This record gives sequence, structure tokens and C-alpha cells, in this order.
Amino acid sequence: MIHLAKNQTKLMIAVHGWSGILLGLLLYAVVITGMAAVFADEIGAWSAGHVETRSAFERPFGTALRALGERTSPKYHDGVDLFEVGDHDLGVFFHRHETDAGGTLISRGMFYELGKDGRVIHTQAGTNEDVYGARNDNALSSFLVDTHVRLHVPNPWGLLLTGILGLGMLVAAISGLLIHRHLFKDIFTLRRKAKPVLLNRDRHSVAGTWSLPFAFILAFTGSFFSFYGTVGMPIVAMAAFGGDMQAMTEEVFGNPGKPDPRPTAIGNIDRITSDAIRRAGTPPTFVTIEHFGRVDAKVTTYHAPPGGDIAPVSLLYNGATARFEQTKPLIGKAPSAGGTLVAIMSPLHFGNFAGLLSKAIWFGLGFAMCYVTFTGLRLWLVRREEAMRSLDWLDRTVTVVGLGLPFALVCAAAAFLIAMPLGTAVTCTTGGFLIASAAVIVAGVVWPTAAGLGHAVQRATGIAMLLLPPLRLLTGGPGWAAAIMAEQPIIVALDIALLVAGGAMIWRGRRLQAPR
Amino acid sequence: MSGTAHKWMRIAFAGPGAVIVAVVVMAGMSLWLPRGAAGIDNLVLPLVLVPLIWAGLFFHACLDAKLWRVAVVATGLLLVHGGLVAQRFLERKPVVAEARP
Repeated sequence: MIHLAKNQTKLMIAVHGWSGILLGLLLYAVVITGMAAVFADEIGAWSAGHVETRSAFERPFGTALRALGERTSPKYHDGVDLFEVGDHDLGVFFHRHETDAGGTLISRGMFYELGKDGRVIHTQAGTNEDVYGARNDNALSSFLVDTHVRLHVPNPWGLLLTGILGLGMLVAAISGLLIHRHLFKDIFTLRRKAKPVLLNRDRHSVAGTWSLPFAFILAFTGSFFSFYGTVGMPIVAMAAFGGDMQAMTEEVFGNPGKPDPRPTAIGNIDRITSDAIRRAGTPPTFVTIEHFGRVDAKVTTYHAPPGGDIAPVSLLYNGATARFEQTKPLIGKAPSAGGTLVAIMSPLHFGNFAGLLSKAIWFGLGFAMCYVTFTGLRLWLVRREEAMRSLDWLDRTVTVVGLGLPFALVCAAAAFLIAMPLGTAVTCTTGGFLIASAAVIVAGVVWPTAAGLGHAVQRATGIAMLLLPPLRLLTGGPGWAAAIMAEQPIIVALDIALLVAGGAMIWRGRRLQAPR
Repeated sequence: MSGTAHKWMRIAFAGPGAVIVAVVVMAGMSLWLPRGAAGIDNLVLPLVLVPLIWAGLFFHACLDAKLWRVAVVATGLLLVHGGLVAQRFLERKPVVAEARP
């Protein structure tokens, strides 16, 4: 326990309250979409009806890759990224590195999508922004991730904004810890029969205290990710490399070995992937080929953390001979404290180090963070009850954002399900979100009371959630039997989760509205 | 110094001051931190630590009863790390050149 003087405690309460009030609503939007984005892969499979469970890297694609290398201009042979797209199809991005007009490092080249039979089903010329952006079949999960990462504000401003929100959350978490006079007592204090204000304060305190370490980790890792590329890398590159970003990237991410530009055919990539699967125990999540078609070609396979570990694994192969070279750290050419620290930032932020279990825990703690943010804003308002007339707009805003945002996200999912078969999911998902948001904002202006508005929005969200599973089936999604037969139970699990959550929201809305 | 001036000085150190000092410390750290086994610790550790450095400066500016101590710590860090960066620019010798034989 940390004992502060009375005036310092008072100052920390003010810092805690104002950091929440100034940044709380945007922070809430970032945390709630981040909570959903923990299951981005599963939401992607559920929404698009993906039933394939075999990784694209478990199928042979070496011959197709060689053929693509021959038809792609050698100027795009600097690097090749291999990753899964759609329903376990293989994405192949031949590219070269460039610096754009704004001084940002980008990749430009040719992207191909290989179907399960190894044939090219899509070809596109463009940059990494185009290749890794939203597609028709992943528009929903991509929308969630984009909202979480940058609130749809163009980079670098979006990342800077979410980075500042991360720092605000760090301040709220640390000041929240400092203002607890009786930390351990507060963890278990929930006076159910107390006045509503006191009960709400207890709920905020209990949820906040339990999720305090998680809030700290999320805020720290989140602000790291936001500032890493936008501010950190350019400034450190300026200090250590005279501003040469390419040199710094090479030093931090590059592979060991001397350059040898002599041309040679790429080695047996199928042998590399099968060896990588055997060594790591799981198929790669991403594969990169550096210097495709050269003697010094290097192939790196990236894998999820093995059981019992938190850091992801990457394996390095000689690209020309397909010979295994070493287990490589994600950052740096040899294991180091800094490299390990950076490597664990991602699993700590995304909670993907122990499969669905860690994801479920991260989701639950994310929900607790949303609850803490929302109830914290409400408490701040209730404590200024005498000034409530002038703060009515803020009370309504908190209701519109706090309860309207989940409603708009569910509507975005509904819009996606309707639009995906028509091929217009990228625009319609955003459109559905915006229309639902506008409807809640208008309701927030015209509804007689903020409490009544809250109940109505909760009921509407519950109904929309209940409608999502039948809508998915009506628009051509796989049924429960088909999903289970295809070993894709996550589709069924998400359907059930939506039905339970929708029912609970309607039940809660009715209970709150019932006369006491 | 009046109470109001004190308050604004503290706000300046906790607000823009903490941001500026944290950024300069991040840049300067890359020049004195050990390079580590992979030769990258001095480059990546400042990037990881910068949110914590900022939070440390922010809470120090809020909670230290003596404002002069806040000023000494923040200005000291700024001058030392700013000086290191300035010296590097004057030398025009990139770190990578030292590391490679």
C-alpha cells in the first residue's frame, strides 16, 4: 500500500477523474473494439463462414511460387511475404522497399492469391497498405481492428491518438492504484444493500482493482505499439543512424550473413514449411523470403508461441538450399534482452499466447476495463449531481457512446452479413456502423431522459444480437452441423455467445425499467 | 514565486515538459545503453521504455512536494541526453559504423 499525504491523494483523485473524463470516451471505444479484436480471427471465420481448418502452409505450393517468381518483374524480388488470406488460401506478395513522399518505409509490388488447388484466383499491383487492407471477406474483423488501432484516423495521426489514449490509461491505472487507501480490502468490498451511488462506487472499485495489472499491461504495450513506428523508430534512427531508417530497420530486423547477389533458383519451399511445422509444432502464421532468386536468399517462418511459452518462435532457413540455419529471435540476429522484451509485447497485448483460453481471459479483462471506464464516467457525473443540469449533455454523451457503440458494432456485423454475398462488405460494414451511430446520436438528442435512452439502446442491442445468428444462416453461412462436421466449432460457439449475450441484455433492460 | 506560478510550473513539467524530456531521453539513451548480445538493445530498449519514462516524469512532477527537485531532475535529464544527441550530430558518425569491422 502506498500512503500519500492528503493533498497528494486529492491531486491524484483529480488526475484520475480528469484523465478519465478527457480521454475516457475515446478510450472506451479503443478498449471495446480491442476486446472484440482479441477474437478477430474467430470473428473473421464466423462472419465469412470459413470452414477450412487446414493451414495453407500444410499444402504444397513450391511449384506455384516458382511460376509466380518467373512471371513477376525481378524489381519486385527484394522480398516475398507469404500469409493466409480468405478461407486458408495463400497470399503471396512480391515486393521491394521504398520510401514514400512522407518519408515512410513502404513495400510496393505484386500480390497474388492462390486457391486451394494452387491456381491464381486474384492478382493485384499495389503497396502493403493495399495488400494488407480490408477485403470483402474480412471487412468485419478488419473494421474492428482498424477502429482499435487508429480509430479510423489516417496514419500517423490515428496511431498517435491511440498512443496518447494509452498514456491516459496508464495515468488512470497508476493514479487509481495510488488513491486506494485500503487496496486489499477494496478488492472484496461490495456493499450490495448500500445506496446506489455507493454500490456503483464499489463495483467500479472492485472491477478496477482486479483489472489494474491488466490495465497497466494493456496501456503500456498499447502505447508502445502506437509510438514504436510513428515516433520511436524515426527519433532513435535520427540519433543513432543520422536519420537512416533503412539502416536501422536492417540492423534490428535483418538476417545475419553477407550479401551475395548471384542469381539462383529458390530452394524447395515445401520442404522448408514441412520442416518448420515439425520443429515448431504448429504451421507458420507468416513466412518471409528475403532476396528471392539469389544465392543469399533467406526464408523466415513465424509461429505462434509453443505450449507453456509466451514468446513467438521464428525459424531461419537458407533460401537457396532449403537448409535449416537457426531458431531466430523475432528481433535481432541473436537472442538478447531487448529482442525478447519486444517479442513478448505482442502476446501480452493480444493475449494470443495460449490459444482460446488466454484469448478468453483477455476478452473478460477487456470487458472489465470497459465496465470500469463506463462506471468511472458515471461516478464522476453522479458526484457532481448539483451541477447535473449543466452536465446533462455529458450524461447523454456517456450513454450514447457507452451503450450506443456496442449497438453500432452489432449493426456493423449485420450490415457485413447482408453485404458480403453481394461483394460490397468493405463499404457496407462501415456504412452500417455509421447509420446505427447516427440513429443513436439523434435518439440521444430527442429522447426525454438519459436513463430511458440507455434502456432502449440496451434492448435494441440485445435484439440485434439475437438476430445475428439467423441472419448469418439466411445469408448463406454454414449451419451448426456443417460447422461441427468441418471441425470449426467456433462458428457455433459465437452463435451461442451472441444468443446468450442478446438475451441477457434484453433481460437486464427489462429489469432496470421495471418499477421498484 | 506565487502559488499560481508554482501550479503552472508544475503543470508545465507534468504536461509538455514530461513529453519533451521523455522523447529526448529516448533519443539519448540509444547512445549510452549497452548494445547487448545482438547489438540492438540500445536501439529497442528506449522504444520499449519511453511510456514508462514519460509516466515516471509525469507522476514525479505531480507528487514531489519540492518543485525545484522536479526542475532539477527534468532539466538534468534533458541536458545530459540532449547533449549526447548534439555531440553525435556534431561528430556525424553513425553508431552502426562503430559496430561493424
